[in-house]
Amino acid sequence: MSFIGDVLSEAIRLLCQFGAELRGVLWLTLVVSLLATAIGVALGVPLGTALGLGRFRGRTPLLVAVNTGMGMPPVLAGLLILLLLWRDGPLGSWGILFTPQAMVIAQSLLAIPIAAGVTAGAVGGLSPVTREQLSALGLGKTAAGWIAVREAWPGVAAAVAAAFGRVVSEVGAVLIVGGNIEGETRVLTTAIVQEARQAQFGAALALGIILMVLALMINGALTWLQLRERVH
Amino acid sequence: MAATSRTGALMPALVVENLRFPEDGSIVSVARLSVEAGGRLVVFGPNGAGKTTLLRLLAGVVPGGPTFAAAYQPQHSHVFRGSAGWNLGLGLNPEQAAWARTLADRFGLDPALYEGPARALSGGERQRLSLARTLARSEPWVLLDEPLAALDVADRMTVAAALVDSLNGKGAIIVTHDREEAAVLGERVAVMVGGTILQEGPVAEVFSLPVDDRVARAVGVANVLDGVTGHREGPLCSIRVGPLQVWGLGDLAEGVGARVLFGAEAVTLFPGHEAAAGSARNRWPGTVSALRETGRLIEVIVDAGSPIAALITPGSQAALNLEPGAPVIVAVKATAARIIPR
Repeated sequence: MSFIGDVLSEAIRLLCQFGAELRGVLWLTLVVSLLATAIGVALGVPLGTALGLGRFRGRTPLLVAVNTGMGMPPVLAGLLILLLLWRDGPLGSWGILFTPQAMVIAQSLLAIPIAAGVTAGAVGGLSPVTREQLSALGLGKTAAGWIAVREAWPGVAAAVAAAFGRVVSEVGAVLIVGGNIEGETRVLTTAIVQEARQAQFGAALALGIILMVLALMINGALTWLQLRERVH
Repeated sequence: MAATSRTGALMPALVVENLRFPEDGSIVSVARLSVEAGGRLVVFGPNGAGKTTLLRLLAGVVPGGPTFAAAYQPQHSHVFRGSAGWNLGLGLNPEQAAWARTLADRFGLDPALYEGPARALSGGERQRLSLARTLARSEPWVLLDEPLAALDVADRMTVAAALVDSLNGKGAIIVTHDREEAAVLGERVAVMVGGTILQEGPVAEVFSLPVDDRVARAVGVANVLDGVTGHREGPLCSIRVGPLQVWGLGDLAEGVGARVLFGAEAVTLFPGHEAAAGSARNRWPGTVSALRETGRLIEVIVDAGSPIAALITPGSQAALNLEPGAPVIVAVKATAARIIPR
């Protein structure tokens, strides 16, 4: 019991200090995860809406690809981006490997299928009455898609939350393309791995608590938006 | 299936031929449907007749129909998240949106509701909103599925009249299963039963002179009597139904089993058993056996040897002092009855 107690008190001490290094890790985590979520939502929600509403050629294979992508292991996403950005790779000239940019790209690859898949489910689940009225409005595809997203808002908010949850908690992709360089590409998850490896359990737990609080705040905000919209 | 437009007119007529759904035509099988430019056709029939599927085919919601520019309003008016005013303007340009507000006002939608959430609207308010939005669109045709179904009975005829006034020369195909609505909304009516259009013509003619007993049942012709034909006179032929001899339009040989059809609204009642003046060929004495309210009218069942149904207004009932047991003369013009083979 004293071991757990010691770890916990060390974690609390570090949290109370909240030093510059910790602040830097938290800030980078927020920036990378939010940017990757934003890219994932910007591309995934329209894709999911098209999949949920449309009846077009290639829809089924695309849906299978998205659903498979939802379960893509983060280390594989990291590996793919690593190959692309490696100095001899097709995008090697960009010179962004082991930078936050590379981490955003790798996490976006994880966020897009999640945002698309959950949105496709939400939009596809709109009632036949809703869909028929929507098609009867005679709108263009973009306008109709926008109304469908508004209509399926609680489900689309869940897609945003799921995408954020996916990227903020993953460690494999950012570790591979970021390299966990202290002060440059270290985020909460990779820092936890680092501290745990060095048996710095108090520090690892402190980082874990911060990660959970962060996830709680973002998801709390999204849930509030989700429920507020339901009133109408 | 083919949709053609007739040139020469200001706006083309709509002609649809050989429309089948699915391919075997088990749900809809329409050989020909035509509506003059600016005309109003009501598609009338019982539940499950295929009316909605026909309209959805015409609207392009179900594939396999003709392609023509039409604004379609489905049977169930759905409103989207957002204000009522925003919903009213969906898919419309600013000019059309302004027109939609004028129309919504005509249809009795309170403008004070515009700022509030559309989800708070009642079913009737949603229907008025959807109707206004659909009519404000620029397409030369409107396709309306049960456009008054969600309204209170008291408001239906007012909104129906406003709807007709608001078409502004657009052609309309309107699905309904209500006789009164059909009479106000349609110039012509197509009676649909089992996916097929059995009779098409001016509303009054179809409702009073159904071509067969399937149409008669569909349009709610109250009097369908079976008997044996007697002699003929010009376009008329007689049929003996129990103790009654009934004259009607028909072209049948003598002595065959036949059926006479006439609407309850074609029956005139005279109080007492005095012979009344008038040109009606069919006159039979009888007694009132029952009275039943049907919407705003009263259906009177008279026992004249066979039961005869008549439709009268509450005012007439009071004036004629019609109560069960009261003696009456039943009169039906021969031209309002149709005699068909059985």
